[in-house]
Amino acid sequence: MFRRVLIANRGEIACRIAATLREMNIAPIMVCSEADRGARHARLGAETLEIGPAEPRASYLNIDALIDAARRARADAVHPGYGFLAENAAFAEAVEAAGLTFIGPAPEQIRAMGDKRAARALAEKARVPVVPGAEGADASALAKAAARIGYPVMVKAALGGGGKGMRVVADEAALREAVESATRLAESAFGDGAVYLEKRLERARHIEVQVLGDGRGKAVHLFERECSLQRRHQKVIEECPSPAVDEALRQRLTFAAVSLAEAVRYRGAGTLEFLLAEDGAFYFLEMNTRLQVEHPVTEFVTGLDLVRLQLEVAANGALPIAQSDVRRQGYAVEARVYAEDAAHGFLPQAGVASRVRWPRAPFVRVDAGIESGDAVPVHYDPILAKVVAYGETRERALVRLGAALDECLVHGVVSNLPFLKALVRARAVAEGTMDTEWIERAFLPDFSALAGAPAPDLALAAVALAEHLGGSGASATANAGAATRVPDAFQALGRWRQPGLE
Amino acid sequence: MRSEWRDGERVRSVEVTPLEPGRFRVVVDGATLELGVERRDDGRLLLSGAGGPHVAEVTSDGARRFVRLDTLEFVLSRESGTRRRGTGAAAGGLDAPMPGVVTRVMVAVGDEVAKGQPLLALEAMKMEHVIRSPRAGRIARLGARAGEMVAGGATLVELEPDASPAS
Repeated sequence: MFRRVLIANRGEIACRIAATLREMNIAPIMVCSEADRGARHARLGAETLEIGPAEPRASYLNIDALIDAARRARADAVHPGYGFLAENAAFAEAVEAAGLTFIGPAPEQIRAMGDKRAARALAEKARVPVVPGAEGADASALAKAAARIGYPVMVKAALGGGGKGMRVVADEAALREAVESATRLAESAFGDGAVYLEKRLERARHIEVQVLGDGRGKAVHLFERECSLQRRHQKVIEECPSPAVDEALRQRLTFAAVSLAEAVRYRGAGTLEFLLAEDGAFYFLEMNTRLQVEHPVTEFVTGLDLVRLQLEVAANGALPIAQSDVRRQGYAVEARVYAEDAAHGFLPQAGVASRVRWPRAPFVRVDAGIESGDAVPVHYDPILAKVVAYGETRERALVRLGAALDECLVHGVVSNLPFLKALVRARAVAEGTMDTEWIERAFLPDFSALAGAPAPDLALAAVALAEHLGGSGASATANAGAATRVPDAFQALGRWRQPGLE
Repeated sequence: MRSEWRDGERVRSVEVTPLEPGRFRVVVDGATLELGVERRDDGRLLLSGAGGPHVAEVTSDGARRFVRLDTLEFVLSRESGTRRRGTGAAAGGLDAPMPGVVTRVMVAVGDEVAKGQPLLALEAMKMEHVIRSPRAGRIARLGARAGEMVAGGATLVELEPDASPAS
């Protein structure tokens, strides 16, 4: 097993990976940008190296700086987390070229799945259904294909993903313009203007299957996750298992996922995303070759630590579990807490979260990237934490999640907590009838009315009374901008605090 | 003590009058509350007399106040009184709605602008936000140049005072 693992990431996911590393007696090596000095993840490292300016390109996306940091820290492996370089084949190659282990799939697997057209072709070869679609060299070829498939269609960037650069097109007139603009966008965003078409499925659900492969043609699944609660293709609440999947469908979905993972000799943890149509048919969308944000719901329900499984596969080249070891019990639901102002168009927020409190309750897990006084920099994804609840029934998990969200407090930076609290108690969520556009179609209008309502008189009274009594709460002091160089005395303390890790 | 607070689109007024130790009369937009107030060591306020005990927690961040009342959260901001109404971010106005970098300035001081005309673009967290003019008018002042980093709430553009009465 590895002794020192560099985590090429920040925020909640870096903290979460470090927790498993410590448990396994592996030293977590953290990296941080100038903006993240003193950030929670930077404080959690057995060793923390600064890798460059705040701009992601200069730090968390800077392959040379990361490899250099891994060498300096004498790391023997690199965990990429999610986002940043997690699905960058060149990074995986650079890690391996430096003689280190990349905790993830082989570079060619990242590359193949990163090209959505190649991924579709691989799925078809493995007899996994894909959304009816077409590739084409130009707009007229695509228009011909669209007429055959039937409108509406989606225009997507071949190298896109995560909903970026996606356009819905209702007719041929709009198609030509959409293809042109999507090509331009894809060229600037991904360096390749290739686009493809997919039939747009109405009221579809987003279901994904977690898999783990040994890299030699054997894979297991860890059931599905339901991620239909999305806003603008960004997931908000996820759960395991899906309320829309019965045992027969689960068998077919997981069989398809394992078939594809085995066909490409997938290595490590990965997720196959599917669209589930109203008629019960499902279609492969894409494969994410990394740990997912929403992995904790799978961990709650299977009792398995996905990060530990990733490390074991990477270190030993074999699956530490058989399919029969993977069992499912109960229900788990996760909500993503973002620094976003849900009442004002979900604008991302930044600043200092001067007062933060996360819930502590039975059957509740919080993966947080910030504590009181931590900065939320403008440069990065505004995720603050994930709050996850478990229940013997789905209903109980939702009630617990609602109570846990009520206990969350984030002051100093506006968060989406009011949105999440309302969402988790919505009727369609309780009934499990949501689809990927339900939030925008049905929930947001109601929520906007709620968010625009005046605050109760008592809230105004409290503010004025706090003012009157003086010294209202925590002042805005940041950990960011703390000492750039760690004094020697603190390095000694670090060793004392982390016995067994060097 | 009287104060004014911005609550979304509204400005609300509150007057606090001490009655006796631990008791206050609070008038919110003309409605009177009589409250027992106990300030805890951790800064929380225990409020009694308005339908049972409530716990409030208030955190300051510049002019903003984050208020937790039991399990509900609100963000209010102090109105200084000199500030013209309708220029706040809530009114779709001319303050930076979030900290970020000004990427483009599309107008100059003295320009006549139409309602809804893009004035400048602000980039933060991989998103571009276009600041548009809330009304027709002439640009009186620009608060930032292209490439400049600005704080949330910073005044980016000032329009010359409106000749017509504010709606």
